[in-house]
Amino acid sequence: MLQHDVLIVGSGLAGMRAALEVSNDPTLDVAILSKVHPLRSHSGAAQGGIAASLGNSAEDTWDLHMFDTVKGGDYLVDQDAAEVLTREGPENIFELEHMGCAFSRDDEGRVAQRRFGGHTAPRACYAADRTGHAVLTVLFEQLLRRGVKVYSEWYALDLVVKDNVCQGLVAYDILSGQIEAISAKAVMFGTGGYGRAFRVTTNAFASTGDGVVMAYRAGIPLEDMEFVQFHPTGLQGSGILLSEAARGEGAHIVNSDGFRFMENYAPGRMELAPRDIVARAEQSEIEAGRGVTALRDSVFMDLRPIGEERIRYALPSVLHLARDFAGIDPLEAPVPIQPTAHYSMGGIPCDINGQVRIKDLDGAPEITGFFAAGEASCVSVHGANRLGTNSLLEAVVMGRRAGRGILDVVHDLEPTSIDEGDMANAVGEVDHFLSASGSEKVGQIRAELRDTMMDKCGVFRDDAELRECLSEVKDYQERFKNVSIDDHGSTFNTDLLDAIELGHMLEYSEVITTGAIARQESRGGHARRDFPNRDDENWHRHTLAYRPQDGEDAPRLEYCEVNMQPKFREPFPLQERTY
Amino acid sequence: MAQQEFIIQRYNPDTDESYEESFNVDVQPGQTVLDSLNAIKWEQDGTLSFRMSCRHAICGSCAMKVNGQSMLSCQTQVDAAAERGDPIHVGPQGNQNVIKDLVVDVSKFLNQFERAETWLEPYEDQDPPGREHRQKVEEFDHWSHASTCIHCGACYSDCTVAAVDENFLGPAALAKAYRFVMDSRDSKREERLQFLSEEQGGIWDCTRCYMCVQACPKDVLPMDAIMELRTLAIEAGHVNNHGVRHHKGFMSGVRKRGRLDEMMLPVQSVGIGRLLTGNLAAHKEMMDYTPGAIRLLKSRKLLTIAQRHGANTEGREQIERIFEEVEAEKHHHDVDAEAFGAEFETALGGH
Repeated sequence: MLQHDVLIVGSGLAGMRAALEVSNDPTLDVAILSKVHPLRSHSGAAQGGIAASLGNSAEDTWDLHMFDTVKGGDYLVDQDAAEVLTREGPENIFELEHMGCAFSRDDEGRVAQRRFGGHTAPRACYAADRTGHAVLTVLFEQLLRRGVKVYSEWYALDLVVKDNVCQGLVAYDILSGQIEAISAKAVMFGTGGYGRAFRVTTNAFASTGDGVVMAYRAGIPLEDMEFVQFHPTGLQGSGILLSEAARGEGAHIVNSDGFRFMENYAPGRMELAPRDIVARAEQSEIEAGRGVTALRDSVFMDLRPIGEERIRYALPSVLHLARDFAGIDPLEAPVPIQPTAHYSMGGIPCDINGQVRIKDLDGAPEITGFFAAGEASCVSVHGANRLGTNSLLEAVVMGRRAGRGILDVVHDLEPTSIDEGDMANAVGEVDHFLSASGSEKVGQIRAELRDTMMDKCGVFRDDAELRECLSEVKDYQERFKNVSIDDHGSTFNTDLLDAIELGHMLEYSEVITTGAIARQESRGGHARRDFPNRDDENWHRHTLAYRPQDGEDAPRLEYCEVNMQPKFREPFPLQERTY
Repeated sequence: MAQQEFIIQRYNPDTDESYEESFNVDVQPGQTVLDSLNAIKWEQDGTLSFRMSCRHAICGSCAMKVNGQSMLSCQTQVDAAAERGDPIHVGPQGNQNVIKDLVVDVSKFLNQFERAETWLEPYEDQDPPGREHRQKVEEFDHWSHASTCIHCGACYSDCTVAAVDENFLGPAALAKAYRFVMDSRDSKREERLQFLSEEQGGIWDCTRCYMCVQACPKDVLPMDAIMELRTLAIEAGHVNNHGVRHHKGFMSGVRKRGRLDEMMLPVQSVGIGRLLTGNLAAHKEMMDYTPGAIRLLKSRKLLTIAQRHGANTEGREQIERIFEEVEAEKHHHDVDAEAFGAEFETALGGH
């Protein structure tokens, strides 16, 4: 059995920021474990910026940022969390800047800031349109400088929790095929989101919700999983992200008539309305027959109003992505775009110190020694819809807070241990796939699942489609029992990992769908045709989905209150959300 | 839909077998090489292993050789890679050991960043920092392209020096070192320049073949960064090393004789002064040249006595003119560099 004081799973912004914080205490032995090398983490794909009310471009305050965040999240945001996020934003940006982050500069030499959807002030700090990459790189550099141990290309298989006390992890060394137990007094998950279950997505192949499902399997309920953000500007077909920075810089979105249709949906903000609103507007235009291209499944984003020089300087990645992946030069022609599954608002429930806590009715029992941060977690700073540039901010702010949360308690935690019995599930799972001989194939089931989720649990939802969706997901789960793989080797067996990941996707897809069926209202990223209005009386609350126990055939849903108690100001009262 | 043949270089670690395998894939317009590898893996042979994640050229996982050149498979269109319906050859990156199929052991490549300590070494900082440092747009623009490295290893894979020298820091780590040398927030500029000048496998080992610039899927321009580091290192006075002596010997040979003087160059590189003072290490270095010198002699690459008398008068005049023009150009550059240096000092003024 391997052993560390602190083990952080996932090496994106949240995980690395937490590890750096923990490494401030030289008496602690901290390690990061990730299925990809840290520099490959999906945080690096974030393009447009990281929000903070620095006020470099125009007057700005943290409570204005907090208000935008709460309203952007359609008031499902926990206000204690949004307060922490926005108050601590600037300090976190300055810290990154002091680590060497390659932030673009304004004429005064300060960190440059630009506009983003749903934010009333220009508060997106950016590194051209590769902000995530710049922050990811600098965090990894500082980790190297500190000499933090990294288990690179190790796959976490199972979280071991006994009597609400986290013991550690069972993990698979992708290089050798060995399964190892790693005990730790504190484990933190920064394992990312779950967008891979949708056909059209910006998410990396790695974003398969592994951490979320490991927590679920360990008995921890998942919060608000039905809230999935569809980003309005994915490249048609592949869904590859074109940054919202394009709209921040002044790109137009038009339908087949060449009309800037946001006029009809959010006249006050036009293209810079929050993502859920723009994505629904696009989908409505497409469904009304005003889509573009031969397939009529997309609308146009036109970058030309920005001007060539500025596009080249501020949006080089957008320019290259459109050229390389759609064969279209945005300097010459508009680019076909469509809504694409982008961000997972739901996840592992935790408090503002990263402590995983079942926000159950009374007492809020915590999982001792288990922390989460970033997209895998649900604090919830994003509520029903995340604003652009708030995700990188959350990963950094909450990663740091989780690191501090760990430092606060870890010295008082008992050493933990993992025995052979605790490893049985993980060992069994790997053995099962290595010896399975069924006729079903991972690639086939996965493709069908992604179609189902996209078409029946997508931008717009209704009861009938969601029920079809759920029954199809159940069907895939049954077929999955009969799956076999080709690769039975022990070295770099990605065939095996594909199978394990599909198991995760099938499990959380059921949770998404179940939560979506139950939530009979429209709020943020969850839009029901049959319940088009927000219903605060019945649904101003978070969903908690428990894994079915023996005898249950569906996740058990419970609900908990939305936090309305910020510390340093009055809460923002519920209001109608218009832009 | 058209069919495209892929010939994939495979390696099975369990049996230690290397072999080529051919697959036919239905391709749609716009399909990438990575899409095709996935189609093979998911529909034909699940044992095929390769790394990939973001599939839009930012995570750096999927660099491999396509038709012999290193590139990101996700960024490479099948149409662009296939010539007249020829099969597309896909193989693992070069200069690194293969683990399985297209998966290589990247640790040798990534370790170079640690060796070059490519992270910011800040000046004494406030904690927590009150504000950001100021940095001029022009300063940022000067190095920011080098910060776009996605550590994919394509440059290292195609590097002709890394192919023969395990010790070479390689294009990516050197470009990243450049990025910190140029960043006014870094406190170790001098130490970096010294290290990069004197380290075995540092800036002077690059042969300027340009493969790294060609292979880089981003805007890093590693070789240009290395060349700029050389200039900065000389300006900073790091001239007493093999690389600079070699550089100077090269130049003086050409200036005097109109061509490379392979006979004198090793002596100049090792350092005439070092040899005359009986420096043992220098004499050992000379001995190391002997086998190469014998090969050069045999292949008549060493200048004869007659040739060493050099170019005729007219030729010499021409060469001198070329040198003068280049030096005038360089002076121009130095003026720019001075102006930039002054700005740099201003930027550092806060410390």
